[in-house]
Amino acid sequence: MTRAASWAILLLGLTYFILPLLGMIEFSLSMRRGEYSFDAYVAVLGDPQFRQTFSYSVMMALLTIVFGMLLVVPTAFWVRLKLPHLRPVIEFITLLPLVIPAIVVVFGYIRLYNTSSWLPLTGSVLGTNLLLMFGYATLSLPYMYRAVDTGLRTIDVTTLTEAAQSLGAGWITILGRIILPNVLVAVLSGAFVTFAIVMGEFTMAALLNRPAFGPYLQLMGANKAYEPFALATIAFIITWACMGLIQLVTRFTKHDKAAR
Amino acid sequence: MTFLTISRLEKSFGANRVVKDFNLEVEKGEFISLLGPSGCGKTTVLRMVAGFELPSAGRITIAGKDVSRLRPNHRNIGMVFQAYALFPNLTVAQNVGFGLKVKGAPAREIAARVAEMLALIGLPEMGERYPYQLSGGQQQRVALARALAPKPQVLLLDEPLSALDAKVRVSLRNEIRAIQRELGITTIFVTHDQEEALSMSDRIVVMHQGVADQVGTPFDIYNRPATRFVAGFVGTLNTLTAQVIDPASGHVRVGGSDLVLGRALPGGEVVLGLRPEMLRLGAEPGMASLTGTITELDFLGSVIRLRLDLGDQRLAVDLFNTTRATPPRVGDSVTLALDPADALVIGA
Amino acid sequence: MTEQSPPPPRRTFHLNLNWLGVMPFALFVLLFLVMPTMKIVVGAFQRPDGSFTFANIAGLFTPSILSSYWISIKISVSSAAIGCLIGFLMAAAMVLGGLPRGLRSPLMTFSGVASNFAGVPLAFAFLATLGPLGLVTVFLRTEFGINLRAMGFNILSFWGLTITYLFFQIPLMILIVTPALDGLKREWREAASCLGATGAQYWRMVALPILFPTILGTFALLFANAFGAVATAIALTGSSLNIVPIMLFAQIRGDVLGDPHLGYAMAFGMILVTGLANVVYIVLRMRSERWLK
Repeated sequence: MTRAASWAILLLGLTYFILPLLGMIEFSLSMRRGEYSFDAYVAVLGDPQFRQTFSYSVMMALLTIVFGMLLVVPTAFWVRLKLPHLRPVIEFITLLPLVIPAIVVVFGYIRLYNTSSWLPLTGSVLGTNLLLMFGYATLSLPYMYRAVDTGLRTIDVTTLTEAAQSLGAGWITILGRIILPNVLVAVLSGAFVTFAIVMGEFTMAALLNRPAFGPYLQLMGANKAYEPFALATIAFIITWACMGLIQLVTRFTKHDKAAR
Repeated sequence: MTFLTISRLEKSFGANRVVKDFNLEVEKGEFISLLGPSGCGKTTVLRMVAGFELPSAGRITIAGKDVSRLRPNHRNIGMVFQAYALFPNLTVAQNVGFGLKVKGAPAREIAARVAEMLALIGLPEMGERYPYQLSGGQQQRVALARALAPKPQVLLLDEPLSALDAKVRVSLRNEIRAIQRELGITTIFVTHDQEEALSMSDRIVVMHQGVADQVGTPFDIYNRPATRFVAGFVGTLNTLTAQVIDPASGHVRVGGSDLVLGRALPGGEVVLGLRPEMLRLGAEPGMASLTGTITELDFLGSVIRLRLDLGDQRLAVDLFNTTRATPPRVGDSVTLALDPADALVIGA
Repeated sequence: MTEQSPPPPRRTFHLNLNWLGVMPFALFVLLFLVMPTMKIVVGAFQRPDGSFTFANIAGLFTPSILSSYWISIKISVSSAAIGCLIGFLMAAAMVLGGLPRGLRSPLMTFSGVASNFAGVPLAFAFLATLGPLGLVTVFLRTEFGINLRAMGFNILSFWGLTITYLFFQIPLMILIVTPALDGLKREWREAASCLGATGAQYWRMVALPILFPTILGTFALLFANAFGAVATAIALTGSSLNIVPIMLFAQIRGDVLGDPHLGYAMAFGMILVTGLANVVYIVLRMRSERWLK
């Protein structure tokens, strides 16, 4: 491929990606007739519903990250250490959420955990929130598991564990003080992806009737003219921030290692 | 007329001149090695012959035809790479037949040629295997067969033995040389390993900082190095500074010993090159002699390596092991004999 | 296990402990992934009273439901195929096209952002661009007199949705295929050209067969990605476009089909389609990868 053709392909592709972002930002600034203004942003940020749904989603994202870490890190560690032959199976399972559509999974939740079932999670607000968090954890499982597993690949789990055991450390200490710090970058990458996913998620929250940011976006889209674009811009910035943070932590630790 | 001619070849990457005024004439059927340390430009020369890099200046002609600007796929050159570079998705037979297939040769012709080549490299039963099922040595032999199958005019070997175990390396190097002689194919072999170059080549080009320091037979390169670099890079060499006492008779003084080299020298100081194996223990009539004290002694089996202190300079000496003589000991003061003709004068 | 004398009790004990380590994970997956999915699969073959039936599946074969599957599959195939193609070209331009190395890191980061920028906000971005009053629509009309609408383009259509989905499909392809392109050794290309192969022959006989499993796997992933995309579709089209995820969403919300178990069947159909896509992928991959261990 010649260099000119490469540039052409790349620039054409980038145009496709930049135009919608431009359109979105342009609309978000056009609330005041005849001039650009931040009116739409002011209106959005002043909306109590925005603040409620936004903080709800942030909370859910943080809870999902904590739960996902508690679930994935020990499992990935244990599989590497004691059950390496299970790895392909676990990997396959963690990829399933990419294949089974989220709408199907949440449909299953609604039918399986309704008020008349053996575990009536949807019967209470707390239960539904819990169910939604499990749903988010499922959605982020492929990213979280891969990130952590990749992180574990770079360290010698067996030797570290045996060394810690020979010094008298228990499992909690090993995981918390030795494994986790070593895969922290990987875990953080997984965490930021999870955050981005949860903040934008619509289907599960809408079908479980929880006041999350995604359904709020959709509601605004159906009812307001300019505010949705301000919201979309905010959502885009959040996504960008998450990905930027992943880059940052990765780069930061690289420098850290090189300096040693 | 020479078969492959490289004249005034230059290559720069940015401000970095990697190859400077490189000239070489190769006869048909000749085996030439480009020998030098990494970064000396030998691989760049090879890649320009193959067509992967375009020369900044100069010409490359093969069989009288200027190929300098030709694309690699129009040059009809066979190449073997250090990392085998077999196509992993193709079987051994498909790899070997690749060159004929892209030229549109009929299937029967390809099959016949593939069988012939696999027999040549001694792997007639391996045609249906995939590269990952072969050992490194086998893969490199297949790579050789693949390069030779389309009957190239020139064969280029880019450090083909470096990735292999020492044992495989020696056997494969003999095999490559035998196949090359059998086919009579003009070959350029790039290596940083002097033993490979010395044992395989008709002629060696020793390269240093983008320049061909010396072109010559292995015997010439080893025994009559043209530059200090060649002398130091090929084989082990003691370099000793000597005071010239009488330029006409070649009388010099080295670390307290007097040598008469029997040839005219410039006045002042010269550097003498002495191969460790050219020195023998004890004084001999008609030979020059050096005296010194043994500071180190390594018993290496067939060879005993000594290090001597000559007063102000140090000297390494290799002695053949014999069962008769009692070995010297560290601290002994000894006399060494050498033929004045074996001493290389490398200039001041 | 090989046939041996029964293992000593101590070993059995250890084995049990090891299994216990993945129990929380297994329990979670069972409760929140496997059982919900099974519930759908089983429900698709049950009457409301729980007895076995094919009636729900048969109920899918009505013109409106069939056409919704058909449109969904078409959108998924086209957005996955175009996404693979464009993503591949962009990645190839970046890796093999001799572009400055410095471009690479920002482009990969951007791909990470764009592949995650899906759902409702993405729909808004495209409405603002290609919608009736969108940036590009208006620009083309006022500057060039090109009326997209009159030409039959509508953002609430098959092509509108496909173009929108490409926004996350292309970057996903770039993210996955770039490492694979990096894995193509320079020597393969050089060896091929020495042997007389043209660039096209090298790609056809060596590079593409080596990349094929990756491309195929990404295609399957992109297909499932588009097939299950709900939020973008709903935010973009409301309920004006009759595709499976939108229909199922409406069914779960308000039983628009008038038969709860038809919803199971629709969801089961979705699993079947994405599952089949992946089975095809696995089979093709196994056939194309004899040369890998």
